[in-house]
Amino acid sequence: MKLLRNKKVRPYLHIAPAFLMIAGLLGYGVINGILESLQMDLSWSNEAYRFLFVESTFWTSLWYTFYITLISTLIALMIGFGITHFLFPYLVKDRWKAIIWVPMLFPHFAAGYLIVLLFSDSGWISGLSYKAGFISGLEEFPNLVNDSMGIGIILTYVWKEIPFVVLMLLPVYVQMDSRLKDVVRTLGGKKRNEFLTAQWPFLWPTIIEIAIILFAFIFAAFEVPYLLGVTFPQMTPVLAFEWFFEGNWEQRPLAFAAMVVVTLIIISFTILIYSTTQKYRHRLMRGS
Amino acid sequence: MKFKLTAFIILLSMGLAACNSSSSNGEGQTSEVLDKEWNQIEKEAEGSTVNLFMWGGDNGINRYIDDWVAPRLKEEYGVTLKRRPMDTNEFIQKLQTEKKAGKAEGTIDIIWINGENFKNAKENGLLIGSFASKLPNNKKYIDPNKNFTKSDMGTEIEGMEAPWGNVQFVMWYDAAKVENPPKNTEELKAFAEKNPGKFTYPNPKDFTGNAFLRHVLYEKTGKDKMLNEKGDPSWLDAKDDAFWDYLKEISPNLWRKGKTYPESLTQLDQLYSKGEVWFTFGFNEARGEGLIKDGVFPETTKSYVLDVGSIGNTHYLSIPFNSPNPAGAMVAINFMESPDAQLAKMDPSMWGEGMVLDTERLPDDLQSDLQALDRGKAVLSTNELEEAYLPELNSTYIDWIKEHWLNEVVKK
Repeated sequence: MKLLRNKKVRPYLHIAPAFLMIAGLLGYGVINGILESLQMDLSWSNEAYRFLFVESTFWTSLWYTFYITLISTLIALMIGFGITHFLFPYLVKDRWKAIIWVPMLFPHFAAGYLIVLLFSDSGWISGLSYKAGFISGLEEFPNLVNDSMGIGIILTYVWKEIPFVVLMLLPVYVQMDSRLKDVVRTLGGKKRNEFLTAQWPFLWPTIIEIAIILFAFIFAAFEVPYLLGVTFPQMTPVLAFEWFFEGNWEQRPLAFAAMVVVTLIIISFTILIYSTTQKYRHRLMRGS
Repeated sequence: MKFKLTAFIILLSMGLAACNSSSSNGEGQTSEVLDKEWNQIEKEAEGSTVNLFMWGGDNGINRYIDDWVAPRLKEEYGVTLKRRPMDTNEFIQKLQTEKKAGKAEGTIDIIWINGENFKNAKENGLLIGSFASKLPNNKKYIDPNKNFTKSDMGTEIEGMEAPWGNVQFVMWYDAAKVENPPKNTEELKAFAEKNPGKFTYPNPKDFTGNAFLRHVLYEKTGKDKMLNEKGDPSWLDAKDDAFWDYLKEISPNLWRKGKTYPESLTQLDQLYSKGEVWFTFGFNEARGEGLIKDGVFPETTKSYVLDVGSIGNTHYLSIPFNSPNPAGAMVAINFMESPDAQLAKMDPSMWGEGMVLDTERLPDDLQSDLQALDRGKAVLSTNELEEAYLPELNSTYIDWIKEHWLNEVVKK
């Protein structure tokens, strides 16, 4: 068992169990998906991909998905960041932390349904504004759910992800060296300088990490857009699901191809962001 | 310690691989049951458990299976029936995956199936084979000359599924809000213009939403026989303008100005129960009766059929290729085709749907029971339904509608 004591080999052995799990389950799934996307009528072909790229439905869906993901991520980040920045002294206390984290307890599907109950034409808010006389009929209420701008979907994600942003940013604030702020102030810096030089450099790597997680999560999400989306355009995962489960089994390679494209987009987005910020991270980690 | 863990993982993965290969033997065992005598099948089924996979979205249907069928099956045949709610396309997918993995013993004994799903299952070899003619009740009470015993939406049945229920498509509306419900496409158009937003139909990817459009297609093609006989929609290309143009014309006056459509019948029902729209519809002429009683639909809900007629749809039970208990499955299906079970199913407090048995073949006492059965006041009379009966379309037209609808109606 010399091999096991070898310092170079040991770390690999230690992560082997986790690696096998991921490679076995996830890897198998991904490879199978890629293989399925390359089969048409039981023979090899790239027909599915060719079809996707000439099909306007797919392009529209991809743009729509991109737009919803981007807006939801940005809003959740901004609000989450605002809450952490201004309420940080309170949030370290458990009572306030608990309140902020309530939305995290709900599954996404329940959150989506909550949005339906609140914001649909016959929902609570519409009913209240009718009773209060703001609108003269329930149908006058603006369409916020199952609307083509995806407002319902965005609302759900923003509501669900803000606590996540806060959760991720809080430790950074806790660890931040407050003496740096004092330095800036003694040197005559204003509030703005204080933030830009003493806080922002520590915050943004985490913010980018959160952005990547949210982007990947929303870009490939299914249940919320399925519940709150419109007939057209659809988010890509919903479209893929329909191609997969429709009566016509010939469309199944399309479903796999669509999800392979989604995966590739997420991977390239992540690589792009990480490679452009890696240098700075190194500097930060080595000490400021 | 670490070594043990690694060894364990290696063993585990080897074990998994072994499981996979050992289970692929024994193919063909399942279908042997088809060669056996009926009383032997009954004997084999005794004391076994049967897993019935079916759509679980209707309380009345679930009540019928759990409270009526299961206890009697247990008492009379010693068979335990377990209902497993799952959407049809999902368990068909499960079977397809099991087939690919070479899994000779699955988990599903009976599936509830028809139309396209049957076509897919049959073409991909997911069914046990021709079993329906072995069932005593099937032989005794079901008319083999009826169309629904030969073909299921254009797919030859060949005994691979046993008929379980017949339903017809009816419209439901709130009589408190609508005085004269529109009975044809012209009336509907005029109605929608006067009452914008009060009518819609589910996305035709939904089976029922598609069925509504099949009625429109029937009307716009003058009930062309080709719709039932020919499984090739190319002849429609020359005359489909009337159909799509109409749908485009009414679209701006539908719910949400036709910018979006409910994704499923369940969603349309919700809109109807909340009063956002005034109409819903669906297969099963007695469907609304239970929903009114449960307080989901308003008391004033009534039903009617369109002028063009009402498509009748038959649904079936079948046995997958890898059923672990095919004998039990056959006994259970035979029981569900018995006159008692079929009559109980018509009771509106259970399910309320029509039977598949030939009424003339029933014994006299059951015939009078049938006459005396009160299906509820929201249900149309048998005569009226029979007069309106339209045969179901070949399933290729379902695909045809699905494929073109988005481009022809929503995107324009």
